[in-house]
Amino acid sequence: MRNRQITNYIVFLGPAGVIVLLFFVMPVLVDIGIAFTDMGRDLQVTKFTLRNFERAFTGDSRLPKVISLTFIYVFFTLAIFNVTFGLVLALTTTAIPKGGGFFRSVWLMPRMSPSVVYIVLWIWAVHGGEASLVNQIAMNVFGVEKPLDLLSNTPVMLIILSNGFIGASFGMIILTSAIRGIPDHLFYAAKADGAGSLSIVRHIVMPALRWPLTYITIWQTLSLLVSFEYIILLTGGGPFQDTTVYALYVYRRTFQSGQYAYGAALALFLIIPGILIAISAWRFTNMQQLLQRPRIEVQ
Amino acid sequence: MARIEFKNIEKRFDDVVVIPGMDLVINDGEFVALLGPSGCGKSTSLFMLAGIYLPSGGDLLFDEHRVNEVEARDRNVGIVFQSYALYPHMTVRDNIRFPLRFKKVPDAEAKRRVREAAELVQVAELMNRRPSQLSGGQQQRVALARALVKDPQLLLLDEPLSNLDATLRLTMRTEIKALQERLGVTTILVTHDQLEATTMADRIICMREGEIEQIGSPDDLYLRPETLFVAGFIGSPPINILHGQVDSEKLRVGEAVAPLVGVGNGPFSIGLRPEHLEFGDSGVPARVIQTEPMGREILYVAESPLGLIRVLESGSQVNHRIGEETRIAFDPSNTLLFEEATGRRLDGAHFHLNTTARAA
Amino acid sequence: MAATTMNSMPSTGQSHWDRLAARARMQRRFSDVALYAFLIVVSLPIIVTYFWLLTLSFSAGRGEINTDVLWPSLFILTPALVALWIWGAVAKDRRQAFIGWGLILAGTIILYFSLLGDQLHLEGYRFLVDPDFNRLNESVVAGDKLSYSATAFPSVWVAFRNSLFVAGAQTVIVCTVASLAGYYISRFQFPLRNSMLRAMLVLHAFPTYTLVVPLFIILWYVGLLDSLVGVMLVLVGIELPFAVFIMKGFYDAVPWEVEMSALADGATRMQTYVRVVLPQVTNGLIAVTVFSFIRGWEEYIFMVTFLIKNTNWTMSLYMFFVTEENSLGIDFALVSAVAVFYVIPSLIMYTVAQKYLMQMSVSGVKG
Repeated sequence: MRNRQITNYIVFLGPAGVIVLLFFVMPVLVDIGIAFTDMGRDLQVTKFTLRNFERAFTGDSRLPKVISLTFIYVFFTLAIFNVTFGLVLALTTTAIPKGGGFFRSVWLMPRMSPSVVYIVLWIWAVHGGEASLVNQIAMNVFGVEKPLDLLSNTPVMLIILSNGFIGASFGMIILTSAIRGIPDHLFYAAKADGAGSLSIVRHIVMPALRWPLTYITIWQTLSLLVSFEYIILLTGGGPFQDTTVYALYVYRRTFQSGQYAYGAALALFLIIPGILIAISAWRFTNMQQLLQRPRIEVQ
Repeated sequence: MARIEFKNIEKRFDDVVVIPGMDLVINDGEFVALLGPSGCGKSTSLFMLAGIYLPSGGDLLFDEHRVNEVEARDRNVGIVFQSYALYPHMTVRDNIRFPLRFKKVPDAEAKRRVREAAELVQVAELMNRRPSQLSGGQQQRVALARALVKDPQLLLLDEPLSNLDATLRLTMRTEIKALQERLGVTTILVTHDQLEATTMADRIICMREGEIEQIGSPDDLYLRPETLFVAGFIGSPPINILHGQVDSEKLRVGEAVAPLVGVGNGPFSIGLRPEHLEFGDSGVPARVIQTEPMGREILYVAESPLGLIRVLESGSQVNHRIGEETRIAFDPSNTLLFEEATGRRLDGAHFHLNTTARAA
Repeated sequence: MAATTMNSMPSTGQSHWDRLAARARMQRRFSDVALYAFLIVVSLPIIVTYFWLLTLSFSAGRGEINTDVLWPSLFILTPALVALWIWGAVAKDRRQAFIGWGLILAGTIILYFSLLGDQLHLEGYRFLVDPDFNRLNESVVAGDKLSYSATAFPSVWVAFRNSLFVAGAQTVIVCTVASLAGYYISRFQFPLRNSMLRAMLVLHAFPTYTLVVPLFIILWYVGLLDSLVGVMLVLVGIELPFAVFIMKGFYDAVPWEVEMSALADGATRMQTYVRVVLPQVTNGLIAVTVFSFIRGWEEYIFMVTFLIKNTNWTMSLYMFFVTEENSLGIDFALVSAVAVFYVIPSLIMYTVAQKYLMQMSVSGVKG
């Protein structure tokens, strides 16, 4: 019996355990280790040092700008798109009698497309030539005389927009299913009680969305903070350092400047808050409810 | 208070016709029940009255005024749902007060009316609780208070008792009935439970597949069902339906034959209520095959040349053992005859089924 | 005049109810129109841009990117769509509707090809039928001496095969491991069960891109840098916690009684799992399969960081380097066609997954 239990443990849980150790625990430990070395482009370690942290706290003149840009980027993307516009899309597509699914699919397109294709479309749409979509419309419809070069002039707006289009669909999906989860009878009751559409949104829908909105905010803050995929593809962090958010800065320092140890140290400042925010997700989770007591005792 | 009229009301959902055309008048202050199996369109009718569904055709009149397209909030209709539909994030007080928000009722008056409504249904001491902290019966009462607080001209009850346990259901039945009599508000109860309909309503509207089968008092429906469906739907244990054939003024049921004058040839159904039958020395021969003591009554199932017949005898003593050979006597005045082609009852067509035929 | 008005409206109540009905009608109509208008306006940029990609793949040539076909196409197709929609609402029955639609479609197609036919071509999609893609590609960049990758482009089929391998192998491993672990966590009592579930919960919210630096160093150290197997394993690790969580949710929904009766019939726990439980979580397996596959198919950052050799390029890298060539003599039809070719599997898989998306609890959090 006892043997069977151990066998089961190894067979069912073993592979997952090994993978988690190899790809989560070990990288975190390796990162901490490397952060205290002088690993450079040649990937060799010659000595252990605290120099990377000294540099991060006092010697890196670019960091303040990078950090403030990160806050601007995360805050505006989240506030305008992931939460607000996601909510607007969820509310409007569930309010119309027909075709809500179509509009939601349209908004899922950016999320469904591979990032490379999605960003290529952005580049084509906004590049500085006269043939870009934006310039075609600006020049032919609005009578702008010289083509706009948004990539050079308003790159921060573009990274917010391009990430926002993706983020809005996340909010839209979660909130749509939350709205769908409200029993029909509550809407009927509110209608019979005299509530108009706006009152229903305010008194019936919004209270039911409180938790999903919190969830979206936490989850998307984390994901915006650490992801740089769309930014590196769209602007490469430029022009100059104008759109280099913190996560991208870590990446560029590591792989473009070859400062592996410094990159590892900077990454720690993302990994630690990352773990903390992820752990804070526990507080919203009812563990009792998640784990059923086994009803079969045989192994 | 209002007089309600359905004039050829039709309701479709896309291509599915739920109500093909319904005519109905409900008088001011009346308590009627819409009775029928699930999916017969009774809740749909109710939702059209509440302004939740829009009729696809016809006229819906409140006191002679067409209200088809009038918004729910302008109709002043109170509704209680099967699930109670209390707003989960609001306290009992806020739930009851919710309808008054949209009527621009002054604060002091709103407070007074909320208190009165709560007292009316005896939930005044629960005002600060949330729905999740209430029992089913308490939620039911709060839902009732919320429907009544706006002083509705029409009260709609959509299966309000079906989520309650049996004892509570009995209490609430009496209470709602008494409340309705006291307030005099026109009330429509939707239910699939015949007992609920017969005990509470003045008039019952029996529906099937979107059409009205019969409108009448509980007695009408029970004693004089106009259709085979109503006869089968009303009454517990259910009515016995025997199939027979009329051929040159003779009704044949199984091996039994009875003279029947004044109807054409064709298949007929005969409805016999179990409680109108009794075992005796005369009548159709039968063999008891099952006994079900039901407390103050005993239900017997007997095998006869006419098929299986249920017989209900009062008393708690089992008088007939399984396997006993006996006879079942009929009361001719309580025999119902239905034309099978139309399902309609033939009025006054009584007849006498007896055993004499058997020998032949 | 006044008298007739009085007669036709016998009571003030009548007009009161009529006014309410009229107001309700107005509001309903207005709010629907406003909502549709809003949704159409905000969705148009996405629709037009993706449609542009499609027109480019059938029409563009070398040189500057253009909208020559996009605008005329929209001018022809938009009225056609509106006409189809109106006809759908007007038609009295199904037969009439189909005939009308058929006529409108035929008319649109004829008009479209007679006006734009000479600008449309299938040149962009050559790569699908011509196995010697290198040659086609060389001709694209031959004139550009500065282009460092002029000779380094692999065939698109190499990239396709690499992506298929990474996404496929990763999916198989993730599915197998996650369905084992998910079952054990859902059904068995064992030491640290609680912690194990918590770990999965935290890891699935874990910002994996922060690990790109240490993962790079580890891969280099074990010699799996610039290897498809290395990237594939990294993706396995990253997808696993999410997959375990989803699978656990699906196992939770399998009734215990099914398992009990299998045990009572004499099966072992392992046999029960394989024969009885697994068939009941096929929806979960499909969901996990689709999501891990898409993840592998679309991944860019790990690919660009861990893969170097052009023979190791995956679709995302291929697409990226194709576009990097940027407006210098690039064949836009070709690039667009590759993009369409790359997007379609994702779209298909998402469409398949859509109904399972709804079955997944939002990461098992309380609502």
